[in-house]
Amino acid sequence: MALAQTGSMPAASPAALVAEDIHKSFGDLEVLKGVSLTAKEGDVIAMLGSSGSGKSTFLRCVNMLEHPNSGHIAVGGETLRLVPGKQGEGLVAEDKEQLRRIRSRLAMVFQSFNLWSHMTVLENVVEAPIQVLKRPKAEAIAYGEEILQRVGLYERKDYYPAHLSGGQQQRVAIARALAMDPSVMLFDEPTSALDPELVGEVLRVMRSLAEEGRTMIVVTHEMGFAKEVSTETIFLHEGRIEEAGPPLEVFNNPRSERFRQFLEGTLK
Amino acid sequence: MDELFERLPFILDGAVITVAVSLVSAVVALVLGLLTATAKLSRSRLARAVATVYTTVIRGVPDLVLMLLIFFGGQLLVNHIAYEWFGYEDYIDVNAFIAGTLTIGFIFGAYMGETFRGAILSVPVGLLEAGYAYGMSKRQVFFRILIPQMMRHALPGIGNNWLVLMKTTALVAIIGLNEMVFRAGQSGGATREPFVYYLVVAVIFLIFTTVSILGLRLAEKHYSAGVRRA
Repeated sequence: MALAQTGSMPAASPAALVAEDIHKSFGDLEVLKGVSLTAKEGDVIAMLGSSGSGKSTFLRCVNMLEHPNSGHIAVGGETLRLVPGKQGEGLVAEDKEQLRRIRSRLAMVFQSFNLWSHMTVLENVVEAPIQVLKRPKAEAIAYGEEILQRVGLYERKDYYPAHLSGGQQQRVAIARALAMDPSVMLFDEPTSALDPELVGEVLRVMRSLAEEGRTMIVVTHEMGFAKEVSTETIFLHEGRIEEAGPPLEVFNNPRSERFRQFLEGTLK
Repeated sequence: MDELFERLPFILDGAVITVAVSLVSAVVALVLGLLTATAKLSRSRLARAVATVYTTVIRGVPDLVLMLLIFFGGQLLVNHIAYEWFGYEDYIDVNAFIAGTLTIGFIFGAYMGETFRGAILSVPVGLLEAGYAYGMSKRQVFFRILIPQMMRHALPGIGNNWLVLMKTTALVAIIGLNEMVFRAGQSGGATREPFVYYLVVAVIFLIFTTVSILGLRLAEKHYSAGVRRA
């Protein structure tokens, strides 16, 4: 946990990810009303909330798949320079080069996997390292194969995504993220599109990532994962943070009435 | 019959020109089609308006009329510009090959544009988002994800357009390009056997289109990699 590490960590090390006061509206609907989050190196932050609470939108604002209306984002101490968009779409990156560099350090895992279906498993995994990070092809392939071993799909490396189960596809998507050596991994409801019996294999991989000290932001409905694996649990309600803290504290003594109701609703 | 064999090489030379006109026009049409589809799907209102006017006009006017309009009108325009702007006094004769390929390319660009637009819309947005999320540039997403993904949906339409385009090249005979149909007309007139020569042309066209259909089938197979067949 974070407390145990502070003694050995250099004091000046910047946070892996800072998102500050993120606001986002879709038309008249204000989805995010100022959400802030700081992830130190090795933090696993679980974001909970009912659907429509804004948790996925928040995650998508962090890597600018959505344009926030206001807020600040910094990755590893580097602040993403944002300016108002010309077509009234909210904030856009001032320097596209910088945005691409920052995005390449924030690997995202999507609810619906979003694997590139015209590429094989291995091609999916090496695509961004070769095209974006400009790694030599042979090196990227060797590393990609190593990562596929790790998620247990090396034997499937020449398959196309359509020939894999949902759980396998999501593990490929996690391998694709790992191949970037990201500073922060963003998980957007990674198990929500899976059949119940396939959830376990994905959670096991995510748990092992957390154990090796990866920095992760996980939007999820998996209470067990949040409780056992996260270093901090955040509960979002109607675009605001209702409750945040170490999971044991938050789950055992929820201060917010809404979070209590949410827990009662889900822990049946 | 002997006469036919004597004239056959002449006709076949024309067939080479037909193929050349088809290929060059197809390249023009594909590029224009991609630009049109991108413009129609863009956020810019101006780009959308220009593309819509283009496809509406082209698809609403007969190919033959467009061909004559662009060839003769274009000729006048070029000469007018050369004289008024650059003081060039000699008459410029626009090359029939260039005029023909540009016109056909221009016409089929509009049809290709509609084909590509539909195909692009069929690509799941999430696949493009994944590209952006991993730091790819617009260009990389376009060429490495969007094009290979949409090709599967675009190919049947591209194939149709290509077959019609090839047959439309017969129209350039009217503006004096001595391709296959033009030469068949000449030979038919000289020998008073138009039926024979036009029949030869019909057979050659049929060979071209059949080969094309086989080629398209291979291409469709290539771009269907990774698609699970039901």
